[in-house]
Amino acid sequence: MSFERSARAALADEQLRGALRHATTLFGERRRAAMATLPDWEGARDRARAIKDETLLHLDRYLEEFTANAERAGARVHWARDAATACEIIGRIAAERGARTVVKSKSMASEEIHLNAALAARGLEPVETDLGEYIVQLAGEGPSHIVAPAIHKTRGQIAALFAEKLGVEPSDDVAALAAAARQTLRRRFAEADLGISGVNFAVAETGTILIVENEGNARLTTTLPRTHVALMGIEKVIPRFADLEVFLQLLPRSGTGQRMTAYQSLLTGAKRRPDDEGPEELHIVVLDNGRSAMLASPVTRQTLACIRCGACLNACPVYRQIGGHAYESVYAGPIGAVLSPQLFGLARSSELPYASSLCGACRDVCPVKIDIPALLLHLRAEVVGRRVGKGGVLERLAFSSYAAVMARPRLFEWVMRAARMLRILPPIGAWTKFRDLRPLAPQSFREQWRAGLRDQAAP
Amino acid sequence: MRTQGSQGVRTRFTEELAAAGAQCTVVCGAAEAGRALARTLAGVHARRVVGSDAPLVQRLLHALGDGFVLEPLDRLSRDELFACDAGVTTAQWGIAETGTLVLESAREKSRLLSLVPPTHVVLLSAGCICESLGDALARVSVASHAITLITGPSRTSDIELTPVVGVHGPQTLHVLLLEEA
Repeated sequence: MSFERSARAALADEQLRGALRHATTLFGERRRAAMATLPDWEGARDRARAIKDETLLHLDRYLEEFTANAERAGARVHWARDAATACEIIGRIAAERGARTVVKSKSMASEEIHLNAALAARGLEPVETDLGEYIVQLAGEGPSHIVAPAIHKTRGQIAALFAEKLGVEPSDDVAALAAAARQTLRRRFAEADLGISGVNFAVAETGTILIVENEGNARLTTTLPRTHVALMGIEKVIPRFADLEVFLQLLPRSGTGQRMTAYQSLLTGAKRRPDDEGPEELHIVVLDNGRSAMLASPVTRQTLACIRCGACLNACPVYRQIGGHAYESVYAGPIGAVLSPQLFGLARSSELPYASSLCGACRDVCPVKIDIPALLLHLRAEVVGRRVGKGGVLERLAFSSYAAVMARPRLFEWVMRAARMLRILPPIGAWTKFRDLRPLAPQSFREQWRAGLRDQAAP
Repeated sequence: MRTQGSQGVRTRFTEELAAAGAQCTVVCGAAEAGRALARTLAGVHARRVVGSDAPLVQRLLHALGDGFVLEPLDRLSRDELFACDAGVTTAQWGIAETGTLVLESAREKSRLLSLVPPTHVVLLSAGCICESLGDALARVSVASHAITLITGPSRTSDIELTPVVGVHGPQTLHVLLLEEA
């Protein structure tokens, strides 16, 4: 389905729009309240962006430093060029250890590479343990929001889903629903032999990975099983341990409106002594999957500064109406409209750069000041330049004529005179469907100027 | 870096703990800590209790008296651990500005006890409260393969953004703040 059609379908779904209105508004209010508790919000944004810029300029070096330090601490680091390689590496780790039950904590990178499908193809059944991810997994859907995967569902829908899939009594009580999930997932945790997590930040200086969460499922995933696999994009690296402070000030505030989430796990290598707690092995899979192409261009490089807080989704007037699934990509909203064409190919997501009014709300809320509207414009130019969009011959002809006319004053005047005489305007139906065009003035400014306005203007 | 453990920092810490949904009891000396621990455990109807290998924790647990079943940490199967009512550990640091507890794996076996049982009781020395996250990050050591930061009980807002406490981790987090006797 095209974006236009799925967006239309979303707009007609009253229940979806109610859930979205409620959640995105609440997210926005909580974010603003939490922001106010940091004395120098703008300064923190600037510092975080400067750290990201510095890292991205020397990403090769920082990645090597991270790898060396993580391995020195006992982790195994695997570099994966693309999604297939990453799935192959993780599948092999699972197979070699004879893993049966695989528990997963939330990881957008794993969604990006469709890891669950790849593991299922090997006969494994990965269980999502984040409540939101668990809900969408039970429903056979993908996440519709970076931070709150089941944001598009009402409690009634979730109650019906749990009643059907878990055989529990339907209940509108959110605490009862959470308890039902806890009960079911505890059994999976008790038997799990492989845990897969994402990574929020990876510290080059120490080889540490940091995982941020609220529920405790990421802690269980990274503590109970004998083997822990952490999947991270190459952009997760930051240089120094002390850099974590500013990111831990920005991420929870921007993501969920918390000053601090319930848990941060800072993991440096595997356990050191046999009687230590935790997994015997830590494997870190470092994923490129199109990111180094973004890194190569100074224009698109800032895409990699994203810390996946989801604030731009909540602020976006388009996302707030249609939700995440309409984008038909694991990354939705403004940052999704920028990431998806770069990760999955411009031709496949050629409509997404246009899924924006360019109002700039995303740029205003971004904790690392990514200029998303500028990136959207850049990608629109790419779509046109590489002729992968759905704009056909007519649209190209229209724009090249427009460019020719605007570049030549005499031609412009002639065209305008002709347009006035004929009282016609070019047929731009999609534009005028929701907007009125101003009528043309009987005389242009230039004509008035030549006809005497010049003399009146003199003092 | 300002003086850790000063009265102002301590007050801020207890306020922020409460804001994060944790309970806090200030105790003076080991005897009072033991009594507060017994009261806290009884308050959540905990019977099966498991403590970390920290000497203070072991000492207080063995002085608890009747009414509790002490589970041995090193011989606990996963299923037995899942059946425990409360875990008792210390924390190495506190962070005043967010009411956060910092647990270092090299100092104590506290990863599972602070996570799996529905109640987590934490002993923290009042002298170990840092003012900010930055101060705490400067003090911890990655000689610990796992450093865990805990701010309040486990929670989720994944259904209609409605807060629920106690999803996968503890529902109750109780801090016993130890002042020097």
